[in-house]
Amino acid sequence: MGNQTAVLPALLHQVPGGESQPELPIGEIVQPLSLFERLWGESALRKLLLVALLVVLWQCYSARVANPLVFPSFSATALALWDSLIHGELPDRVAVSLRVLLSGYLLGILLATLLAAVATGSRLGNDLLEVLTAMFNPLPAIALLPLALLWFGLGSGSITFVLVHAVLWPVALNTHSGFASVSATTRMVGRNYGLTGWRYVVRILIPAAFPAILTGLKNGWAFAWRTLIAAELVFGVSSGSGGIGWYIYENKNQLEIARVFAGLLTVIAIGVAMDSLFRVVERRTVQRWGMSR
Amino acid sequence: MATAAAPLLKVEGVTLQYKTRESLVTATWKVDFQADRSDRLVLLGPSGCGKSTLLKAVGGYLAPAAGVITLDGARITGPGPDRVMVFQEADQMLPWLTVRQNVAFALTASGSCGKREAEDQAGVYIKKVRLEKFADTYPHTLSGGMKQRVAIARCLAMKPAVVLMDEPFAALDALTRQRMQEELLELWDESRFTMLFVTHSIEEAILLGNRVVLLSPHPGQVREIMEVDLDDPANRFHGRCDELRDTIHRVLFKDTGDYVI
Repeated sequence: MGNQTAVLPALLHQVPGGESQPELPIGEIVQPLSLFERLWGESALRKLLLVALLVVLWQCYSARVANPLVFPSFSATALALWDSLIHGELPDRVAVSLRVLLSGYLLGILLATLLAAVATGSRLGNDLLEVLTAMFNPLPAIALLPLALLWFGLGSGSITFVLVHAVLWPVALNTHSGFASVSATTRMVGRNYGLTGWRYVVRILIPAAFPAILTGLKNGWAFAWRTLIAAELVFGVSSGSGGIGWYIYENKNQLEIARVFAGLLTVIAIGVAMDSLFRVVERRTVQRWGMSR
Repeated sequence: MATAAAPLLKVEGVTLQYKTRESLVTATWKVDFQADRSDRLVLLGPSGCGKSTLLKAVGGYLAPAAGVITLDGARITGPGPDRVMVFQEADQMLPWLTVRQNVAFALTASGSCGKREAEDQAGVYIKKVRLEKFADTYPHTLSGGMKQRVAIARCLAMKPAVVLMDEPFAALDALTRQRMQEELLELWDESRFTMLFVTHSIEEAILLGNRVVLLSPHPGQVREIMEVDLDDPANRFHGRCDELRDTIHRVLFKDTGDYVI
């Protein structure tokens, strides 16, 4: 943008044969938009407006239903959320959920990286990855929970196991296809400067495949988060200290429906927060490098 | 090892083959040529003559099926920083690094120098290609010609024994190409590096080379090796260029009639 304004006057001066150039009345090049137009141009603001609208609709509808056991109002939910956050157990629940999530996510990424590296290194490894992902990627992680309970018992071990399953396949698949699509030229440049083995993977393959890797991380995160909440709904991580899913389930049993809604809002809020985190990473890397697809 | 008079790069009886899914293709057949120090050797020929494949073999990306390629008496067995390639494609720039980091990357990755010194050297060579204003921008913001300049800066910063250029200006518009050719010659004049340049343009070959290897296609074979004597001011009259062009044209297409490149 800044460049254009700098270049334009220079061009105008270079018009050939012009001692007696008439001053052309072009008019104003840059005209400020009205305040409303500028505000309306902000997509965040428009979205916020939509959220507010939905909240109003919620409040009106709950007033019509007038049955807090079925559909609590927004104000009741907000109060319950506030209460649970300040005096209640919600922060602990969130902490438990995030801790399990993070360990499962990181373990999944580690295994995925190893698998993708093996797959990139040899043809048989490549086949192995393809067979495994073809088999396990369509299998919802939560379907493994009964087995996990049998193997690891009631506790964080079982949840970590299903989380790893949720993360591993999408991340491995995307990382591998990212590695495979690194252009021949980029590869040759890397090898030209004598990069081989792990240095080649770290300095050439991973950054060059980063758009695909990031997509894998995002998908892996989305799967893991859904799986976690679903698994927690079935049982607490260990007796007495469950996560958000358990918080929702427990409050439903006690007919604290406003708290159930509060739990759901928390799940949404964490999801949105993670999504914006990924967007920041995307802006700072892939978009900044002009690699977004 | 080799004396100063011995040729720097020797390609002797090189046959190159590569596999496709169905078949084994012979790209070049018993190719011989040599490059002395400070030579600007151009490989010229129509598509299918294996000139890019030859360049990749010199780069070490491809082992000859027969024959040997030696650099300063040592056999070439793999890619290495003593032979730096400049490609035609814009993705030879690593998009996650700025212009300066791209040049410095070459120096640190190859272990030629430490981080600090690499940055300084990068600055020097970026200045040589007149891109100091863009040193800290990312490659995707640059024009095609600027990207090629960075590639040339990155290559020269390595001070390779041979510079390998694979149609580096082919994707540029005519005006930019002309400018780049002139700048390349100026850079050569400064440090007199040895260069192997692949092109399918007769004009480019005459302009840039001091010696031109003419290749015929399917499989690539050397037709003739011509001295381009335009460096000598006595030969710089207008007709000499046309004369050379006609000769090359005749040699390249002597049995294929009106084959179009």
